[in-house]
Amino acid sequence: MTTLEENSGPVEDPTTDFNIFDPEFVRDPYPTMSTIRESKCPIAHSERWGGSWLPTRYEDVVAIAQEHEIFTSREIIVTPRPQGQVEGPYAGVAAPPISSDPPDHHWHRRLILPVFAPQSVAKYEQGTRDLCNQLIDAFIHRGEADAGTDYAQQIPVRVIATLLGVPVDMADEFTSWVRGVLEIGLTDPKVRLESRLKILNFFTTQLEDRKKNPRENDLITDLLNSGDKYPVTDQYVLGVCNLMLVAGIDTTWSAIGSSLWHLAQHPEHRRQLRERPDIWPTAVEELLRAYSPVTMARIVDRDIEFQGCPMKAGDRVLMAFPAANRDPRQFDDPDQVILDREHNRHVAFGSGIHRCAGSNLARLELRVALQVWLERIPEFSLVDPSSVTWAGGQVHGPRVCRVRF
Amino acid sequence: MCSIAAPEVFGSDELGHATVLIAGDVPAELQAKVRRAHANCPEDAIIIEE
Repeated sequence: MTTLEENSGPVEDPTTDFNIFDPEFVRDPYPTMSTIRESKCPIAHSERWGGSWLPTRYEDVVAIAQEHEIFTSREIIVTPRPQGQVEGPYAGVAAPPISSDPPDHHWHRRLILPVFAPQSVAKYEQGTRDLCNQLIDAFIHRGEADAGTDYAQQIPVRVIATLLGVPVDMADEFTSWVRGVLEIGLTDPKVRLESRLKILNFFTTQLEDRKKNPRENDLITDLLNSGDKYPVTDQYVLGVCNLMLVAGIDTTWSAIGSSLWHLAQHPEHRRQLRERPDIWPTAVEELLRAYSPVTMARIVDRDIEFQGCPMKAGDRVLMAFPAANRDPRQFDDPDQVILDREHNRHVAFGSGIHRCAGSNLARLELRVALQVWLERIPEFSLVDPSSVTWAGGQVHGPRVCRVRF
Repeated sequence: MCSIAAPEVFGSDELGHATVLIAGDVPAELQAKVRRAHANCPEDAIIIEE
């Protein structure tokens, strides 16, 4: 039950048969999420894609995220693991700390947090700004560009490569591997497995290199040398590198892309950001709320009844953060983008012990990418709204998004 | 988020966990910023005592 053919077919009732890879849901998931949220079954269930639950209310999503002993992170991808991932040289390599449960979760996360503290990520601001300007230099004379492929897609991969100390000129390969795991691979197990192997083979070589040639101020070297404090293994370091690449690229790229797609259609918001630069902090949060890219999975530890739903050990629960962030019980006018929104406890970065460790970096990249774009290209619009293509399932955002200016 | 909304009042430690930078009552001129931090804290971790 892991291919598009096996899982296609019309959806009669989304509360009992939702399909996260239905083309309409991938393009615009919010009406379906709203239908489920306001139905008698706000925690929907579907047999498609190996079976999963889909909580859509803010309160339920947050409660599940907080109950990490019942809703474990044994698997975090929205579709089941392909055959073959549980064997082979990298069978035990996961993506710590996002795939870790307590007690190991604590040190798995503790070791990477300093890298993402606000004062640590601030040093990437100027480099990100320069990168955004260079990308725009390449297309501004054309009067037209793909805000997805030419811009949004190019930014996070280079920031993450810099942070990891791996070659920035491999950006296109990294992007293709990450799409293989998180996008195309979700409905194509062969691609998912191949892409995973490419990522892990690459980082295995990087680890061997750091052992022979340790570097100063280098994340991989520092992680390998943390064995005096915690039981660090190569498998852990490999897993962290895997996570940073996979979680750091597609997600932020999608947030930047969705925000540009929105701004292309809302001249009043472009004007508001020009006239009131003081609202940038809330504007970034509001765009993250309205277009939350990420849905993570949890695996139920033991049979329980949650809000009347009979969940069984091993069941998959999809943490629909995008649905929670448009719950009218939590947000006034949830489908409206209000750039100076006062109350905004959004969960685009999740909640609880697995709350995104890279949120400060993601915020910085999103803000700088949008600021530079609006400085250089204050006025722009979609070339053809119907030609915008979208990715969805685990990470929702535009892929091809042509704009003219 | 709080250190973005009210940088005069909230900072972060080496791990990126939020810290409070001031002691005692919040000065009047910073109260609006602190309210904004409170209204935007995703973990609902800020309690304002009036």
